[in-house]
Amino acid sequence: MSAPVSQIREPLITGHKTYHQITEDLISPTEKTPSFAWTVGFIISAIFLGLYVFSVLWTIYMGIGTWNLNRTVGWGWDITNFVWWVGIGHAGTLISAILLIFRQKWRTGVNRAAEAMTIFAVICAGQFPLIHMGRLWMGFFIFPYVNTRGPLWPNFNSPLLWDVFAISTYFTVSLLFWYTGLVPDFATVRDRAKGFRKKVYNFLSFGWTGSAKHWQRWESLSLILAGLSTPLVLSVHTIVSFDFATSVIPGWHTTIFPPYFVAGAIFSGFAMVQTLMLVTRTVLNLKDYITIEHIESMNKVILLTGTIVGVAYITELFIAWYSGYIYEQFAFFNRVFGPYWWSYFGMMFCNVISPQLYWKKSWRRNITLTFFLSIVINIGMWFERFVIIATTLARDYLPSSWSYYSPTWVEICLFLGTLGLFFFCYLIFTRVAPVVAVAEIKSILKSAGDQYVGKNAVHQHHHGDEHSEVESH
Amino acid sequence: MEKLQANIWIGREDLENSEKFLEQSSQEFSVLESVADDRNGEVFASNRRDFLKFLGFGLGAATIAAGCDIPIKKALPYVVKPDAIVPGVATYYASSYVDGGDYAAILVKTRDGRPIKIESNDLAPAGWGNTSARVQASVLSLYDTNRLTTPMAKSGSDWVSASWDTIDSNIKKALASASNVRILKSAGISPTADKALGEFTAKYTSSKVVVLDDKSYSGILDANQANFGVRAIPGYAFDKAEVIVSFGADFLGTWVAPAKFAGDYVKMRQIKDIHSPKMSRHIQVENGMTLTGSNADNRILIKPSEQGVAIAHLFNAIVGGGAPASGLNDKAKKALTKVAGDLKAAAGKSIVVSGSNNPAEQQLVNAINNALGNYGSTIDFSNAILTKKGDDAAFASLLSEMKAGGVDVLIVDGANPVYNHVMGKEFAEAMSKVKTKVAIGLSADETSALCDYIATKPHYLESWGDAQPNATTLSLIQPTIAPLFDSRQAELSYLTWAESANIADSDQPYFDYLKANWQSTIFGGQSTFASFDAFWDNALQLGVMTTSPAVSATGFSGDVSAVFGSIGKPASTELEISFYESVSLGNGQYATNPWLQEMPNPVDRTSWGNYLAVPVNFDGVHTMVAMNDLQDGDLVKLTIGGNEFTVPVIQQFGQMPGTVSIALGYGRTEAGQAGTGVGVNVNPVQTKVGAYAQPYSAEVTVSGKVGKEDHFSCVQYHHTMGVKAEEKGTGNIINADEAATVFFNYFTGVKGFQGALTERSIIYTSNIEGLEEAVEELHHKREHAQFLNSKQIYGGYDEKYATGHHWGMHIDLNACIGCGACTVACMSENNVPIVGKKEVSRHHEMTWLRIDRYYYGDIDNPNTVYQPMMCQHCDNAPCENVCPVNATNHSSEGLNQMTYNRCIGTRYCANNCPYKVRRFNWLDYTTADSFPANQYKKFGEEIPFGAENLTRMVLNPDVTVRSKGVIEKCSFCVQRLQEGKLTAKQEGRALRDADVKSACMTACPTGAITFGDMNHKDLLSEKLENPLTYIVLEEINVRSSVNYTMKVTNRDSALDA
Repeated sequence: MSAPVSQIREPLITGHKTYHQITEDLISPTEKTPSFAWTVGFIISAIFLGLYVFSVLWTIYMGIGTWNLNRTVGWGWDITNFVWWVGIGHAGTLISAILLIFRQKWRTGVNRAAEAMTIFAVICAGQFPLIHMGRLWMGFFIFPYVNTRGPLWPNFNSPLLWDVFAISTYFTVSLLFWYTGLVPDFATVRDRAKGFRKKVYNFLSFGWTGSAKHWQRWESLSLILAGLSTPLVLSVHTIVSFDFATSVIPGWHTTIFPPYFVAGAIFSGFAMVQTLMLVTRTVLNLKDYITIEHIESMNKVILLTGTIVGVAYITELFIAWYSGYIYEQFAFFNRVFGPYWWSYFGMMFCNVISPQLYWKKSWRRNITLTFFLSIVINIGMWFERFVIIATTLARDYLPSSWSYYSPTWVEICLFLGTLGLFFFCYLIFTRVAPVVAVAEIKSILKSAGDQYVGKNAVHQHHHGDEHSEVESH
Repeated sequence: MEKLQANIWIGREDLENSEKFLEQSSQEFSVLESVADDRNGEVFASNRRDFLKFLGFGLGAATIAAGCDIPIKKALPYVVKPDAIVPGVATYYASSYVDGGDYAAILVKTRDGRPIKIESNDLAPAGWGNTSARVQASVLSLYDTNRLTTPMAKSGSDWVSASWDTIDSNIKKALASASNVRILKSAGISPTADKALGEFTAKYTSSKVVVLDDKSYSGILDANQANFGVRAIPGYAFDKAEVIVSFGADFLGTWVAPAKFAGDYVKMRQIKDIHSPKMSRHIQVENGMTLTGSNADNRILIKPSEQGVAIAHLFNAIVGGGAPASGLNDKAKKALTKVAGDLKAAAGKSIVVSGSNNPAEQQLVNAINNALGNYGSTIDFSNAILTKKGDDAAFASLLSEMKAGGVDVLIVDGANPVYNHVMGKEFAEAMSKVKTKVAIGLSADETSALCDYIATKPHYLESWGDAQPNATTLSLIQPTIAPLFDSRQAELSYLTWAESANIADSDQPYFDYLKANWQSTIFGGQSTFASFDAFWDNALQLGVMTTSPAVSATGFSGDVSAVFGSIGKPASTELEISFYESVSLGNGQYATNPWLQEMPNPVDRTSWGNYLAVPVNFDGVHTMVAMNDLQDGDLVKLTIGGNEFTVPVIQQFGQMPGTVSIALGYGRTEAGQAGTGVGVNVNPVQTKVGAYAQPYSAEVTVSGKVGKEDHFSCVQYHHTMGVKAEEKGTGNIINADEAATVFFNYFTGVKGFQGALTERSIIYTSNIEGLEEAVEELHHKREHAQFLNSKQIYGGYDEKYATGHHWGMHIDLNACIGCGACTVACMSENNVPIVGKKEVSRHHEMTWLRIDRYYYGDIDNPNTVYQPMMCQHCDNAPCENVCPVNATNHSSEGLNQMTYNRCIGTRYCANNCPYKVRRFNWLDYTTADSFPANQYKKFGEEIPFGAENLTRMVLNPDVTVRSKGVIEKCSFCVQRLQEGKLTAKQEGRALRDADVKSACMTACPTGAITFGDMNHKDLLSEKLENPLTYIVLEEINVRSSVNYTMKVTNRDSALDA
């Protein structure tokens, strides 16, 4: 995993960490009594999760009529939430797979948490296609199982079916990837643990011994999974965008959707990683591992993808006008100036304007601003999906059928509930697994630790030459 | 090595040759040591075998237990099968709908002895078989849970069930001692009922019959009495009139016989040749937009109080004479002068009608028609309409008699003055002075609630009877089900109370009475049949027959100038309100019917309540501004003559500025689950001129917004399709619709956007002038769309459906008047659930067929187009390819099919439907679900509309009742297609279009809908050749199977100046 290091790179591990210190810092959160902040967060998440369970049961028992969807707007907060969560679920795999292939060392500080976030976000996303069904109990019809009804297969032309495959594949591969990374770390936890805990971690680490063969196979598997995941990162949101792009509804029927959705997904995913990491590094005291350098790198990705998304928005407007197709023209007029204008302007401000602040280096490195903007971007990306789904449906071809949609308490609770579900899972994750990939961090210590590189590096005999090279710059 | 292989050993015991091992290895089945030990020690009570035994027993027991508990529903065959019933096959009976002043000759579809659907009787002459929404909905009233199940008597202030013997003896006692018996009834058109009533009045000589219509027609009846010596409404031949002028008569929606008139009216609205197009010109003079006004070519706007002078103005222009016409607004004056010229040019081929309830005004109208020579050509008393007979003056004298305590027995039969009469409150008070009050009715209403007895009568579908809707038509009513409850026909009640000797001692005494009456009166008047039985059977089978006129009118006579003083005077107040009869609910007589409550008002598209229509205008920049800046659904305080109402408003295009309108027929207090407390009752606040209630008031104020309606149940939010208005500053005529909806001025100053809203291929309209150009443009647009569609990558749709049947539909927008009969027929045929006000307000209405309504043209005085919209059965259907489970798919006959069982409810299809015709079962509207009903319950009722077992008898067994969570939509009445195909097959012939008629098609009173096979040269393909035909949204290449025609009007622009 070693590669040439640019000499102007900042160190990615600060605090002159030794290997032992790294182990101590990263494993100890799983061994200590949870902090007060964790406990409060966990209780709040559990309450929201309870709210979620109640809302789901309420929806299934009473019917989708407990939501405010109507004859014109068949999807609202449900699919908005679905796309939003799937989008968030993109950062993890992007970080772990694409950045692995590109040998971006900074990924090691955040990949574990980002992958966990991906898993939980996809779990949250997967809730909505299920509960938005009018007859959830018949949902198994969607699977191509052998049957005696003809046989009767699902409709392979339907993008909704493609979604099923795309998301389940993505979830499976992401989960495998995440778990693969966890195996050596679980072994480390096991080695430090006693009693029952040791047994559990022994099981979880699949009897990892740390032999060279293990490491070799582990690295190969990681690379294979990275190779598998890379196209998935691009395909999942492409397919999600097909839900809209293959329809006949003006404002949905747009060829720009796949790249635009993928960029948006990475954008929102990184924003969510920022939100989580900024809290995690403070609460778990991981500032030496998730450094300003990491934050800045991610802000650069946010700036790039945010700008791509902005270009896509403008392109849509241009094409709507340029096409001369009146339905599309109206659809986009309606997006901007129609009854939901506030969501469009909210989206534009949050997604396009706000990330532009990151052109300035000091702002990219400002933690407070980063945290604030990460929230803003997440709100903006939620708006984007709402704009695409609800605004478009509310006013389509026949003016007689135009309608307006606003959610009921059930729909709001479902959304808040999935936030509860997400943080519930994430908080448990911070207790049972090292939130930073211990083995991977250790692998870059020599090339990115601040005692070896950067201006605070200390002279070491066996790295003398290297050191003087760094010094001379 | 060899030795090792030879000495294969199993375990240490083998190697050591232990004794125990040797012993065990000699046995075929080894016993595990531990088990054997435990057995000896009896620690384990069972071993593997025991376990299997227990398992077997357990499974067996569970199977038997589960098997025993399955409920068995037995379907027993008839031991002796009734001739008329073939299970699974519908039987049709000819009958007549007579209710609340409406008449229609009908066929009643029954399945297994249950009436489930009303069809029009095509044999009926002169459009009397045309059905309206009210007629279509009437079958549901049969199964109304609000119906009384027994005769009722009041004990103290409570109603208790009584036996017929008890109430009969009490009533007879009261009658015997009465010196003044009064019968207040709705207009009867039954000759036999009249005879029965005659026996009653002969027995009780002090009795007098007062007739009251639900909405008064006294004005026109009294005027005709004065001018023609006949108290009847003449037959109007709208199919012969080239110029029609209507002063507020809603003859297509509510006035006299709207379904019949509509059928006639549209005959003159068809374009037969686009090169020399001809159609009638219809001018409506009114203030609020009525259904008829919305279909008119021109509307002349007058305030309601100006109606008298408007008629006078036309009178002066045509007949001459100095009728006082001052106070009419200048625009109307000018327009009416022009109209007078048109009328004179079409003398003898024109009709002037008025909805006025002022006899003086009606006399002027009579004089105008007389001067135009319309009597005998377009207006004829020889086929006078008899359905309206109310007499306001007689009612007024009854009221004063009652007030004076001069009435001993009052029998209220069908009339409901306490609710619907302007003097309702006084009448209610006066009723307390009547000793014995008897109501005859289906269910309790406001008036019968104040009576002492209710003689419960059966629904018309359970009754025998006859009817004479006009002078030349006679029809029979026959029961299609045995009476559900302990009821007795009104006629039989009269006969019983009269102690008639003509009551036969049989199961159905009134049937015998009716038959005897026909034998003695009508049988003699014909010569076709020799025996009465043959005649009777034939009459019963046909349902209708013609008869010779019983009405003889004199020529026009009378000194009209004598009534000049009585015509209405324009009020000087700033705001006036008009009250119009609801197309669906009438004047409240149909309020108990949830289908009619749920059917949107055709004009303002609201349901479940009456909305105050307020005028709306364009501010010249980018906003539609309504009176007092009111928005749809705002609540206002409406004060009329000191009475205050809180009502929701709806912005109404075409509403005259300075006027507002609200529907009558709402705000009932005794109308069961569906009608009670829906809207407000404005009957009492009408203006009273003498005995005549005038449906307007000039003493009205409307406050600003005082709140927001909880459930704004309007199914259409955007009402216009390109209305034009003047731009502020420039004075240019601009597309106000786009300027208001697609407004770019925020940054660019651009108003409207390249026709983004109004150039849509949804509605095509043209005036008769310039029709050729419009048709050419239409064809150009269609060609362009078809060119685009030919560029598709995936083709083959046309070839795929080119053979066999290919079902399609044609809807003539020039024939569609928007009445809503099809909507209700569809609900009835297809078991479409009723969802109630709250759900409608959330746009959860389930109607498979809706009628979109758009205004276009001049914003102050727009034209209207109605567009019935249902599943278009696209051959390249966007809904089909997005369904993940193939629940919606295409049949080989071009039908877009919905498989409810397969639907998992993702609603993707509904989203992807360009026509937005798919409906989702948001909640358990039908209680077909395994979970309990969860629908909005208005009055805390146990279960929602349509869920009672009684109400469910109306369900069509051929159509699945859908459960919660599935999508549904128009199926082109696939069950009827199947039936048609089977009929053709049984008869061994090819299918004809006439074999397959969708429910909407048969219900349509104007023949606007044609259904058929597009691959077959027949009725449909003929219609498709119409050059005005187009397909909605043709350019998106969904290949719809429903065709529409361009809407053509005959608007006279000279009247707009």
